[in-house]
Amino acid sequence: MTNHRHFRHRAAALAGAAAALALVVTGCAGAASGTPGASTDSATPVSGGTLKVAFWDDQQGCIDPNQVYWIESRSIDRQIADSLTDQDPDSGKIVPWLATAWSINADSTQYTFTLRDGVTFSDGEKFDATAVKTALDGTFALGPKSILGLTYLAGYGSTTVVDPTHVQVDFTKPNAAFLQATSTTTLAIEAPATYQQTPEARCAGAVVGSGAFTLDNYTAAKSAHLTKRADYAWPSGLVTNQGAAYLDAIDVTYIKEDSVRNGELTAGTIDVAWPRQPISDADQQVITAAGDVIESRALPGISSILVPNVTKGGPLADADVRNALQKSIDRTTYASTIFWADYPVVTSVVDSTTPFATDESKLLAYDPDGAKKLLDTAGWAVGADGYRYKAGQELTLHYPLTVSGAGEQLLQDQLKQVGINLSLDVVTAAQNTQKLAAGDYDLTGTYLTRADPSVLGSSLDQSSSKQASAVNSQDAATGASISELFATGLETPDDTARGTAYAALQSKLISTGSAFPIFERVQIAGVSNTVHGFAFTSEAFLRANDIWLEQ
Amino acid sequence: MAIDTALSSSLEQAELETFPPAHRGRPGDLGESGENREQDDRRPPLQNARRERLQYAARRVLRRPGLVVAILLLLFVIVSAAFPALFTHFDPYATAPADKLKAPSLSHLFGTDEIGRDLFTRVLYGSTLTIQATLAAVAIAVVVGLALGVVTGFLGGWVDLVLMRLVDVMLAIPRLLLALVIVTALGFGTVPISIAVAVGIIPGFARITRAEVLKVKNLPYIEAARTGGASWARVLLRHILPNSWGPVFVLAVLDFGVAILAISALSFLGFGAAPPAAEWGTLISNGRNFLITSPWLSLLPGLFVGLVVFSLNHISKSLEELQR
Repeated sequence: MTNHRHFRHRAAALAGAAAALALVVTGCAGAASGTPGASTDSATPVSGGTLKVAFWDDQQGCIDPNQVYWIESRSIDRQIADSLTDQDPDSGKIVPWLATAWSINADSTQYTFTLRDGVTFSDGEKFDATAVKTALDGTFALGPKSILGLTYLAGYGSTTVVDPTHVQVDFTKPNAAFLQATSTTTLAIEAPATYQQTPEARCAGAVVGSGAFTLDNYTAAKSAHLTKRADYAWPSGLVTNQGAAYLDAIDVTYIKEDSVRNGELTAGTIDVAWPRQPISDADQQVITAAGDVIESRALPGISSILVPNVTKGGPLADADVRNALQKSIDRTTYASTIFWADYPVVTSVVDSTTPFATDESKLLAYDPDGAKKLLDTAGWAVGADGYRYKAGQELTLHYPLTVSGAGEQLLQDQLKQVGINLSLDVVTAAQNTQKLAAGDYDLTGTYLTRADPSVLGSSLDQSSSKQASAVNSQDAATGASISELFATGLETPDDTARGTAYAALQSKLISTGSAFPIFERVQIAGVSNTVHGFAFTSEAFLRANDIWLEQ
Repeated sequence: MAIDTALSSSLEQAELETFPPAHRGRPGDLGESGENREQDDRRPPLQNARRERLQYAARRVLRRPGLVVAILLLLFVIVSAAFPALFTHFDPYATAPADKLKAPSLSHLFGTDEIGRDLFTRVLYGSTLTIQATLAAVAIAVVVGLALGVVTGFLGGWVDLVLMRLVDVMLAIPRLLLALVIVTALGFGTVPISIAVAVGIIPGFARITRAEVLKVKNLPYIEAARTGGASWARVLLRHILPNSWGPVFVLAVLDFGVAILAISALSFLGFGAAPPAAEWGTLISNGRNFLITSPWLSLLPGLFVGLVVFSLNHISKSLEELQR
């Protein structure tokens, strides 16, 4: 046992040294991919083997890329369905994939794509302009069934087949985020036959794509099995392996308990342990001590935020109370306590890897004294029990949630220091949905993954989103000014103009107390030391094209 | 104060008395002592008799060191549940990020949790919630179970038939499953889980009581009491009930342990009190992600619950033996 481990260590060290040497010799040619696993591997990949991945849960129970919002399902979908474009994880730049080129008109209402030739779906059908039209029309037809598709295709008008390799997409209003949207799994192009199935059947696994793997079977929250396509030859330029995948198959299981999942990884029963919340510091040490590897990437998209309800006439209807709440959250301590010492501290309403993310840490500074002053002037006086009262009413904020972890309780204690009583109301998922719909809450939490700041609109833009977090988080005047900034951000494909609009939007959301960032989201995966070529996509999903297993 | 004097005088007596007054029996015993006690014409001796019985019981208890330890532990739990602040100077809810995940030491007997709260303090404050919930659950179960058992056993006929079939149905459903269903319907919190657990243990009480009532009901002295002109209500309350709750009492102590486990299980699953308050089960559950790196987080509260339940089991078993 010990000998074996020693050997593994030594082998790893040798491989590392060899890799370092190779990098020096080749002038860091491989480092650009930004994926530690991929860039440091110099050994020759071998084909064969099954990659065993364990996710934590599958609560949405849907595998159709066009419909699903569940992060883990999207990781599976990335292997089975390709998109028109791909996004560089490092620069956020959009690069060709199934579309080799594209042009956008000045007001972002018309996109023309030139399509790659020779691509087929796994059912044998040819990928062409008609297939793209079928896919986009089919995704748009899903309507609210596709929470993400709804915003990705906001203002969708029609798709026109120009010729077999050219397709034109028209919007009724500007949608500058559409190009990025075409790189997501949500707008992945599935085979035309797929769209003849009902949305429910597609959710349950009737999904055919042009990806490097095909989906053999999928049982919601239980398992999924993928096998490789031997004739695959059209990955994006971000992938090193331009041919068929090295892996024969991918086996997906779901293990809810973090400790059990991590234990299976160190015991060698699974190859990748993929949690939702970051693997704890302590567990990371256990994993690395067993010789396995920790991979991480900050998830782009909405950071973990709390959203107020200002409509029910509760304490948060008062802007002073919202600002006080913003000041009384100690985000630095939160990051170092709930996660670990150098865990990134949240700096905006979007994670730092999101394109156009700005650093709003000045507005998010921990200032308990300032918070107390604000509450004093707003008329909330400290009572005998340390909580604040106004006209006999305690300053209580109801936060319904289905599971309360250490993070919420730390936050609760932080708010207690300034006299705010954060009531963590643990309810069932059904009750939670009901409370949100009825507006019977003061705070609710949300986050969403997408490598474009327009993702904020899905949760916070009153003019497009019907979610409680959008409808209840701003009064009409604030809501109108925020919606205007969202519209400006979507008006033009020009990066500078978009950047200005989204910078204004981020500071506006924070300064009006329409969103309270709590922590930055990081996708962490525990990866076995026999796995090489591990890579994250730009949206921090799994990309298995380059993965090979030590035999 | 009154107890003090009684105790000291009983200690004096203990030296004089050497043999157990076996002929006197205990309340609940049938026949001579039960029925004839009141005819005993020595007035002070009534006091004496009580004292003697106390001494006798005390001596029998002291002969079982395991039982003494169990009782002491239980006393500690009950006292600390009532006055947790006596045993710790920490605030159970105050977080201290700098002190997170500290191993057990003299300053933190059970170590600290992942946001720096003293775990021993959390266990003691958790006792308050858990013991309250348990007491409530067992009280509900005893009252309802006893009532059901007495009514069905005493009335018999179709009342017995209908109610007992209902009880049978309840017995057929696994207790924890039943509790889960009820708690989901009622909502989360200490009160709902004690009701849920109570419903699960009512059938046991009802069945035992009914069996005892059936046994006692046909004994000659009941007939004698009836012939003597006592009303049915009086017979029920004065003769049947007192003579049938012995086994129920044993079961109640035993079910205390069962109820603690059930309540811990429910709070382990997240149905317990609203955070930051935590029952024992919540504490065990919170630590499970740190089992490999900080095992005390789950193990110490778990050990604590285990010891309490073992103690209750032991007390219940000893009570049964002592009653024999």
